[in-house]
Amino acid sequence: MNLTETPEERTFRAEVQAWMAAHLTGEFAALRGCHGPGEERFDAALAKRWEQELATAGWVGIGWPQAAGGAGLPLGKQIIFHEEYVRAGGPGRLGHIGEQLFAPTLIDFGTPAQQARFLPGIRAGREYWAQGYSEPNAGSDLANVRTRARLDVERGEWVIDGQKVWTSWAQEADWIFVLARTEEGSQRHHGLSLLLVPLHQPGVTVRPIRQMTGGAEFNEVFFDGARTEGSLHLGPVGEGWKVAMALLGYERGVSTLGQQAQFRHELDLVIAAARANGAAQDPVLRQRIADAALRLATLRFHALRVLGAGGASHAAYTAKYAWSNWRRDLGQLAADVLGRAGDVVRADDAARTRLQQVWLSSRADTIYAGTNEIQLNLIAERALGMPREERKGP
Amino acid sequence: MDLALDDDQQAIAQAAADFLAEACAAPAMRAAADSADGMDRALWQGIVEQGWCAVAAPEAEGGLGLGEVGLALLAEQLGRHLAGVPFFESAIEAAALLRACGNPEPALLAGVASGAVLVLAAHATHADASTTPAGDWRLDGTWPQVPGAAWADNFLLLIEGESPRLFWVPAPELAVEPLAMIDTTRRSASVHAHAVHVPATALLAEGAALRTALVHARGLAAIALAAEQVGVAQQCLDLTLAYAAQRMQFGRPIASFQAVKHRCAQMLVAIESARSAVYGAAAVADAAPEATTLSFHAAEAWCAACDAVRYAAQEAIQLHGGVGYTWEVDVQRYFKRAQANRVRGGDPSTWRERVAAQLLDAAP
Repeated sequence: MNLTETPEERTFRAEVQAWMAAHLTGEFAALRGCHGPGEERFDAALAKRWEQELATAGWVGIGWPQAAGGAGLPLGKQIIFHEEYVRAGGPGRLGHIGEQLFAPTLIDFGTPAQQARFLPGIRAGREYWAQGYSEPNAGSDLANVRTRARLDVERGEWVIDGQKVWTSWAQEADWIFVLARTEEGSQRHHGLSLLLVPLHQPGVTVRPIRQMTGGAEFNEVFFDGARTEGSLHLGPVGEGWKVAMALLGYERGVSTLGQQAQFRHELDLVIAAARANGAAQDPVLRQRIADAALRLATLRFHALRVLGAGGASHAAYTAKYAWSNWRRDLGQLAADVLGRAGDVVRADDAARTRLQQVWLSSRADTIYAGTNEIQLNLIAERALGMPREERKGP
Repeated sequence: MDLALDDDQQAIAQAAADFLAEACAAPAMRAAADSADGMDRALWQGIVEQGWCAVAAPEAEGGLGLGEVGLALLAEQLGRHLAGVPFFESAIEAAALLRACGNPEPALLAGVASGAVLVLAAHATHADASTTPAGDWRLDGTWPQVPGAAWADNFLLLIEGESPRLFWVPAPELAVEPLAMIDTTRRSASVHAHAVHVPATALLAEGAALRTALVHARGLAAIALAAEQVGVAQQCLDLTLAYAAQRMQFGRPIASFQAVKHRCAQMLVAIESARSAVYGAAAVADAAPEATTLSFHAAEAWCAACDAVRYAAQEAIQLHGGVGYTWEVDVQRYFKRAQANRVRGGDPSTWRERVAAQLLDAAP
């Protein structure tokens, strides 16, 4: 147990701070504090140039092993990078899905040829990935996937038909990893494969979905005879479920600490708003603001505890439920602090706009990546060993 | 940076769990709780022999050098067992205050390490200290509800006021009257001083220095008491899981109903969050923090633990159904201890208001 930074870590923190201060300037200053696609002021082309700026400096793939082209940084430094990145106002990472979800899975499950083909593009900030899991009838019940793929033996290609949904940032991505049924007539988690499919082709249609925030961060993706090479399955054919689940494990990894630096920024905006409009004098709101600050500190300790223990523990299971509900509460607090002004749109008031977005966007946190209800099932069944829910066939 | 327990910390936590499973199993806990004075003296003897009372002291002073984290790990296990011993009073609360005062009377701390019970008496209804012509002090006062007082060998008497003073007084000099308690696992007594004369050296600290020491010690005590609350909450969950697995209704264990599963899961969320808060706050406390930092993280641990144990104890009774309302089933004892601890450490709203003042009232 150690909360003190080593001199080397302190130096590294200063290095990240200095780099961000020197580089998030000029044309990139417009990206400061941007969340990502779906935001009106978000310039995707600029965000991709920013990813390349990061890549050139070696900030992409910092947690990958060196053999895979990464920097192989220890956990402590990865945490520091993510914290300082957000603290400096670094924008939402367009490369996040590729760098932090797909690449670690590719490193664990991909063939050498697949790694040689895809890792450099991600590492350089040139190729962007989307995640093709959920479908209209496969949400919490992901094993109900119906998107199917058959092998066109003559051309040595997979042919994919079906539909994915809630596909974040697909409108800016080049590739998608698709959980598809490759064995006809297979049931549940059997007979699925994880296929790597180019998005820019006639058989693929990406249609943005407008969210309650007004923006369109996520999409529907339709596959209508879409094609990909026969070798582009990640892990063995028919064992895609295992690979898909491993990938979800990386989603709970080190990047959550960067996310908390973002939460801290949001909380600071709430505090500033409360001080400015007098809400800071309301005894009940004072309690809620203090509570939010205390719980946020605990989210950080919790993440440090889980990561330090290597991830496999009771505490690891509770993390997502804890942070998503914390942020949903923060969103409601933000709206209550804003008061009547919270209902008025003022494009020239960046702080207010951001808090309104926190209020609305936090409603997604307790739904995506496993709803509250699914999280509680997982905690009860896997951490506490309680009886599993009865599952009926398709 | 990480907050996983290191080898020494894991070892002491495991040793404590093993020792208490043997020495403070449920029948022994109930026997102590239903006994005349509530103290399990054999258990206390064992704890002293294990060296727990010196766990936080530096190795140079003959301690184990495990700091606030070590204390928290032990307190958590003691909470799980509702151990009827004055560990919190003596080895945590009083020792922390003595250290915060600069250890003015080393024999007192040494006594604590070897099992002499030192208890802090605070919240007097009236108390007064005056110097006598002979150059010693005359103490008068009533401290109406002092936890652990009936078990004390020595007292730290806190006389509040414009310039607070802290004296140490051997227990036989004072009148101690045990109180009948709802939570019988940790008894309180009223403490009275009538014209007690103590030498000038009995004054351990006073004034602004004492105020600062009290705030510091309050933070450390809150973190350790929060750890105890985590242990209480964990046992509430474990008792509930065991019961729900064997209790059949509608032809299946009630543990298979989602309404039950989700509440157990929410108990775990609250408990694991509180545990992270406690470990983190204890690690902060061991790193010589600024006063505001310690106060913030003490509030964090305390509020998280009180929230967790309130939910866990409430749901433990609820999910046990009718038997949860009976005297026979232990959850009622945990429920009562949780509330006694809560009022002892100070209502979480008071702690949150301190944090609110830091966040909202200070110059930005």
